Amino acid sequence: MRIETCYFCSSRIYPGHGIQFVRNDCKIFKFCRSKCHAAFKKKKNPRKVKWTKAYRKTVGKELTVDPSFEFEKRRHLPIRYDRETWSKAVEAMKKVESIKNKRQGAYIMQRLRKGRELEQERDVKEVQRDLSLIRSPAAGLKERQQGQSVDEDVKESDEEMEGVIEDGGEVTL
Amino acid sequence: MVYKRRKYHEGDTHLKKKWRTKRRTKDLDEIDEDLQKNSEKLLNQEVDFDRPGGAQHYCLHCARYFINATALQDHFRTKVHKRRLKALETEPYTIEDSERAAGFGSFKAPSKRKIETQPSTDKEEAIDNTSKKMKVDDDI
Repeated sequence: MRIETCYFCSSRIYPGHGIQFVRNDCKIFKFCRSKCHAAFKKKKNPRKVKWTKAYRKTVGKELTVDPSFEFEKRRHLPIRYDRETWSKAVEAMKKVESIKNKRQGAYIMQRLRKGRELEQERDVKEVQRDLSLIRSPAAGLKERQQGQSVDEDVKESDEEMEGVIEDGGEVTL
Repeated sequence: MVYKRRKYHEGDTHLKKKWRTKRRTKDLDEIDEDLQKNSEKLLNQEVDFDRPGGAQHYCLHCARYFINATALQDHFRTKVHKRRLKALETEPYTIEDSERAAGFGSFKAPSKRKIETQPSTDKEEAIDNTSKKMKVDDDI
């Protein structure tokens, strides 16, 4: 018994599941479910279908190159049964799996962090651009003008002190 | 009284037929193998009366037989053929690729290469040239 991989979506195929297609040139295509088989029959390219592993890896959504991927492989090398190596291998498999999961998770988080940075940048920009929606630029305009005019008056009055007397005491607010 | 329509799948037989195994056409990876290994053999086939045009006019990239040289030359100018050339530019997906995507070994991004229409033989070229000349004459 062996857990095979699906040709289309690269998921695991457990015994008793899925279907396989043998092409004229003896190549065996294994499919996990009818969804994948139908897509193959329609000649869809797995690299371009978004729900497949191949898509996620070609587009760079998942970790692609890592030494932790080199353990699980088809090697076509018969190994003589030995209890000790077997038990050691089982132990190692668990460890490799945990390391692999950790690295894959870290890769995805690293990728998402970039998005968060961009999001923050965009937010700052939006607030700066649309600040007028929160606080009207006209708010406090009158007071400011009044303050200005008072200032100006003070200045003007200083300058006009001499003129005021001539004009007959006309001061505008 | 309105009855419930019983035949839901009446009109979709043509789709089922199209994807039947007996109507299977060559996959892209098979064509890729043809291009690399047996292009000579496929382009110079023996006369086979079961094939269109006696299997004398074959398009390697589309894996199709044509009835004569003009039909083949016309086909080279079609959208179908150009699309196929484009699709063949990236390396085809294989079973090994699917295993690599599943995490058996590091994943390899598909490489790109340049694909051009097969060089036409002397006879085909002659026909192509004459058809062009004819057009020129018409214009005059």
